[in-house]
Amino acid sequence: MSVRTMPLRRSSALAGAVTLALVVTGCGSSSDGGSDKAGDARTRTFAADNGKIKIPANPKRVVATGYAVPVMIEAEAPLVGISSWKRGEPMMSKKDLATYKKLSKVAGEQAAETNYEAIAEAEPDLIVIGVPAPVLGDIDMQRLKSIAPVVAIGPTVPSAWREQSRKQADAAGALKKFDATQKAYEDKAAGLAKKYKNVLPDLKLGHIGAYGEVAKGTFQREFGGSWGTNIAEDVGATYYGKVKKPGPGSRAVSEYPSLEELPDGLAEADAITYSVNADGSVPESVKYVMDSKLWKNLSAVKAKKTFPIRYTEAATYGQAMQTLDAIDESFAPLLKS
Amino acid sequence: MTAAGRTTGAATTQRGVPQAGLLIGGFVLLAAIAVVSVGVGARSISPVDVVRALLDHQGTDDHVIVRDVRAPRALLAVAVGAALAVAGALIQTLARNPLAEPGVLGVTAGAGFAITLGSGLGFAAGQAGQLGCAVLGSVLAALLVATVGRRSPLRLVLTGVALTAVLTGVALGMRLMLPDVFDVYRFWSVGSLAAREQAPLVWPLTAIVVCLVGALALSRALNALTMGESVAHTLGAEVNRVRAITLVLITVLSGAATAVAGPILFVGLIVPHLVRRIAAGSVPWLVLHSMVLGPILLLVADIGSRVLLPTGEVPVAVVTAFLGGPMLIWAVRRFGEGSL
Repeated sequence: MSVRTMPLRRSSALAGAVTLALVVTGCGSSSDGGSDKAGDARTRTFAADNGKIKIPANPKRVVATGYAVPVMIEAEAPLVGISSWKRGEPMMSKKDLATYKKLSKVAGEQAAETNYEAIAEAEPDLIVIGVPAPVLGDIDMQRLKSIAPVVAIGPTVPSAWREQSRKQADAAGALKKFDATQKAYEDKAAGLAKKYKNVLPDLKLGHIGAYGEVAKGTFQREFGGSWGTNIAEDVGATYYGKVKKPGPGSRAVSEYPSLEELPDGLAEADAITYSVNADGSVPESVKYVMDSKLWKNLSAVKAKKTFPIRYTEAATYGQAMQTLDAIDESFAPLLKS
Repeated sequence: MTAAGRTTGAATTQRGVPQAGLLIGGFVLLAAIAVVSVGVGARSISPVDVVRALLDHQGTDDHVIVRDVRAPRALLAVAVGAALAVAGALIQTLARNPLAEPGVLGVTAGAGFAITLGSGLGFAAGQAGQLGCAVLGSVLAALLVATVGRRSPLRLVLTGVALTAVLTGVALGMRLMLPDVFDVYRFWSVGSLAAREQAPLVWPLTAIVVCLVGALALSRALNALTMGESVAHTLGAEVNRVRAITLVLITVLSGAATAVAGPILFVGLIVPHLVRRIAAGSVPWLVLHSMVLGPILLLVADIGSRVLLPTGEVPVAVVTAFLGGPMLIWAVRRFGEGSL
């Protein structure tokens, strides 16, 4: 096999050009969140679940998947492709839903349904993966990295959606709209906390989540910081108790005991909240609990202090505003008693 | 055993133990295990309170758990265990094949297919929806198998195997394409007796009781059938009629059991093997002993399902499979295939 050698003068010139290009594009290191100014392609180093990643300081073409999808749409990030996110559709505003439907779907509901060719065709300059860390194993990260820088920012404990969504919006350079929505949420929550300050802090609350498994005879008991409780806590609600054997993620703040343990689990509750669907219907797993005589024996139920809460899956500030409205609507009778 | 012995039924086992005595002993054991079953669960309830809950219900949480959660579950275990065991005894007798079990008629595959299809179309939401889909699927599948394979036992088994393969394959394809459907199916597919207390069980349980009585009534005629069609004709049995009624009984028994508890394998296969030696070639005694041992096996497995893990439960189908495999090997090694 023959190898053609490059003339020395020509190779020196090429080396010089490469050096110049590296200086211009700014490949030097930078601190987390900082940016390097160097011509047209500024970059910064971003700390994500998958390590410190060099990403464009001002991305123009973003692909988002999983929990990052509603965050990016709400923050008006420059999206060119998203994964399907059916579970979030009932909580999207009309405008966001229209945007969601219009955007090209480059992945399905599951991480394993990622369409790498579709992502490559979208020509993104940043890919934001919003799935839990264990699910990252279902994604061919090397293949994605060959398309664009990839940052993984997935959910951990449910109440951490605030920090995670901010980080996702930050990666996409879309903090302006995000911060405005966050401010609106915090103002609204503070207003409701004031409205219920004479009734809520005195109540010991318990919560029944929507993810119990009827086939196994279990129900989901959610504690403070869980999906069903964290937004109500911003209004001043206090959920008592803690998980007997904490696990990772949402298992740190919720558990799945047998229906037989319902009396022990909620005996001390002055009031009980429970998750319902976006349309107000009661999920099968919650209905299973509410149809049992053990539920009817609970003191909170006898005192008629049970409150359905819609939109408990909220993971963005915009969605959480709807949850606040739902909580206000549900807790309203407390002010009359 | 002589032909005359078969038709009249053996009053004693091969070791000379009275069948009636064994049966009464079995009923006593069943009652004792049922009481233990009602006393075991996630919440600790004293035996005194268990008895009080059954005899003097006060409506306390403990009493509600015993009466409304555990007692219906024990009753369900008895009904499902008896249904599967008797269906297994009938299909093994009819097919003259010791490896036959109720699933051979396509009942389990039919129910699984109907649950899958029903979930995809939105009909299988909730326990009532799943129950309806499972009943419909199992009955239609069994009808199809019985219609095509009615002429001979071998044809019946082959048709059942073929239909099971087709339905399982199509349903698997649908579940792989539709994650939501898979989600519904995966809970149903592991047979369990947990949380059935709120399901509409009156009709399935009534059907099981009626069919158990029917199986007993038919067992003498089946006794004649085990000696071959020509001998059965000679003894005055209406072979085609007996075969058709037996197929209906197997379909309803296994279909109702699968619909309310999901697929629970091994009970229909192992129980007839275990009691065949005791029955000494008599189908009536085979049916009677299966009717008692099936519930005992399922109740023991169900108690195990509740105590094996420190928290939560193991589905009863997993426990029956765990117990059933070694028991089947032991029975085959100890007794051989036995006489049908």
